Amino acid sequence: MAHVQTQTIAQAKEGDKIISSVAMIVTLVSFGMLFLTLMMAFALFRFTQAVWPPAGMSRPDLLLPTISTLLIAISSATYIYFEKNIYKGKAHKNSLALTTLLGIGFMVSQFLFWNHLKAQGIFASSGIFPSIIYAFTWIHAAHIVAGLGLLMWLYGTLKTPDSMTAVKVSNIGKFWHFLGIVWLIMFVTIFVL
Amino acid sequence: MAFFEQDIHDAPTTFLSKYVFSFDHKVIAKQFLWYGIAFLGIGGMMAILIRWTLAFPGEAFPILGPLLFPGNNGVVPPDTYAMLFTLHGTIMIFYAITPILIGAFGNYCIPLMIGARDMVFPTLNMLSFWLAVLSAILLLASLFTPLGGAAGGWTSYPTLSTLIGSAGVGQTLWCLALFVLGVSSTMGAVNYIATIITLRAPGMGYFDMPLTIWGLWLTAILNAIFLPVLGAGLLLLTFDRVFGTTFFLAGAAATSGSGDPVLFQHVFWIFGHPEVYILILPAWGIVSDLLSFFARKPAFGAKGTALAMTSITILSTLVYGHHMYSTQMSPLLTQSFMMLTMTISIPSAVFFANWLGTIWKGSIRFDTPMLFSLGVVFVFGLGGLTGLYLATVTTDLYLHDTYFVVGHFHYTMAASVLLGGFAGTYFWFPKMYGRMMNERLGKIHFWISMVGLNGIFMGMMVIGHAGMHRRIYNPFVYEFLKDLVPLNMFITISALTMGVGQLFFVYNFIHSMYKGPIATQNPWEVGTLEWTIPSPAPHYNFKDIPVVRCGPHEFGNPNLVGKDFQYQTEELVKA
Repeated sequence: MAHVQTQTIAQAKEGDKIISSVAMIVTLVSFGMLFLTLMMAFALFRFTQAVWPPAGMSRPDLLLPTISTLLIAISSATYIYFEKNIYKGKAHKNSLALTTLLGIGFMVSQFLFWNHLKAQGIFASSGIFPSIIYAFTWIHAAHIVAGLGLLMWLYGTLKTPDSMTAVKVSNIGKFWHFLGIVWLIMFVTIFVL
Repeated sequence: MAFFEQDIHDAPTTFLSKYVFSFDHKVIAKQFLWYGIAFLGIGGMMAILIRWTLAFPGEAFPILGPLLFPGNNGVVPPDTYAMLFTLHGTIMIFYAITPILIGAFGNYCIPLMIGARDMVFPTLNMLSFWLAVLSAILLLASLFTPLGGAAGGWTSYPTLSTLIGSAGVGQTLWCLALFVLGVSSTMGAVNYIATIITLRAPGMGYFDMPLTIWGLWLTAILNAIFLPVLGAGLLLLTFDRVFGTTFFLAGAAATSGSGDPVLFQHVFWIFGHPEVYILILPAWGIVSDLLSFFARKPAFGAKGTALAMTSITILSTLVYGHHMYSTQMSPLLTQSFMMLTMTISIPSAVFFANWLGTIWKGSIRFDTPMLFSLGVVFVFGLGGLTGLYLATVTTDLYLHDTYFVVGHFHYTMAASVLLGGFAGTYFWFPKMYGRMMNERLGKIHFWISMVGLNGIFMGMMVIGHAGMHRRIYNPFVYEFLKDLVPLNMFITISALTMGVGQLFFVYNFIHSMYKGPIATQNPWEVGTLEWTIPSPAPHYNFKDIPVVRCGPHEFGNPNLVGKDFQYQTEELVKA
């Protein structure tokens, strides 16, 4: 059984691979433009204000965003491990499950962060800096939820691997790493700098 | 090159799977066509209401007026007027032209012209259409909310579009509707790009593709890159309206902190200028092909046309600032944008010259699709040339927000694209429905439309040059515009004429679907791949995937015997 799995997972039609990769790259360019526009808005506000953060606001606590960053970074790493094994023909389900759990952990840390801000009396309507923090993390979190859905769906399809499994793994991986990179950029530009 | 061959699926049997939730690109294309034509009707009706108000201010709109506005003696009220011009623009651009040119012709032509059995992602394709339906429902629902639909102009600039300017839920629904439509179009774009890259028939290089496919492909690329930019702007605007963020609120409008209303203009036009080319590129592609098909000559400099369209695609991403000269931009920036905008004239001139070169000394067949294509050449020429005055900072500062602008963008985006769309409809109708449309009615439709739209848009340029501003309910309260009433009446009469002309099309379309003469496999005697299969195209398109051996415009080859064209599947005839 394990051997049969090895065979089918590794085999993907060359055409299917190329089509999916082309489509995934175009999709990521689209998503990339969405986040790039947000970053452009951020840059505009950041560079036109004399003092940052504006309106006497202090910077948010870095603890929770740092935890988020670590969680999503480790989740990307476990996914890379999972992906490497898939190409060798081994479906390391546990590392995929770990990726998913870490992703859920990321969402939890985001919720805690939002609650933390609210407890301090910082709301989305409290000015431009909170607007940016809330809106950007909301939009990113919505994509993470979609990503988690994809990861869970992938976990389900591993039961019956077929010639497309390796393609699915590689494309969902691209999306998940993309979200990790977007978070990293947001973390560095909005929270740290 | 085709990377693989798609399987032939069984034909769907139930009504739902065949006509409603269909995976077949040809059915989805027809769905988009009907969707677009329906909205063309709605948007057109709105245009008539707007025009009536401008020509006969304070007079009741005949017949419909008392039914629609009983509280106002049948006169269009000022707030409704703002709603009308907002939704006219939104509907015509996003819900009429886009579905017809990109949704219908994109879906119909791409697989057929590149020799594929369907799009690479049929499910995504179906999803794309039904998301567009959801978006239309959201938009139309906004009309029934307490304060009515969006009324901040199709560009929905803040602060007009924030809660300060439009308090009702209509503007929020407008944002959501456009966001959903953006997602739908992006899905379509991913599908088109992947299909064209991976499913071209064996032997078909990029320069063997018909120019229609070039236009659609470049459009899809622009869509995939720039629709998300608008998406981000709409999301932030929605957050401003719903969650109280302050991205686009400034000064007294912002209770805390300070955003920037002009930011939305940047975001909107970074998307908006490519959007202009998103709309016109498919029409250019179709016209470039049809001119060659009906002049019975190879498309002059077809490679040059394709490359010119590509350079325009690239340049179109760099010129958005010319929409914002009057926002106190730095002169350094306005001059750069002016220069980049002017640069677009060069590739435009290249393919315009190629069009003229194509019809030069051709043995032209003046069938309806050709008449409409020649119409595009004429109106696009006018639209393009008047753009120069708006691209120039010094003249734009005077012409900004006048009817000159309205006339200009209607010549390019409405007249050219619409005529291109009609050309395509008349041309591919036989392949879609297996029947021919009536030529006589088609020609009547063309001439009424041509006279009508030139009357409308030429008139608009004149009143714009005289200083009449756009989006004003009753311009004639101003002393200096009082003399423009007769010209406005002329424009309105032209608009009514054009509206009546469209009835010929609607009748022709519906009548020909059922009663038109049966079309042969290749009624226009054209060599591209869709004409190598029966009319209407079978659900699997090609029984055997064709092998392409020559270009799409092989006409008038002196070595041909007995006919003046050859199919793309035939080896180029040599002496």
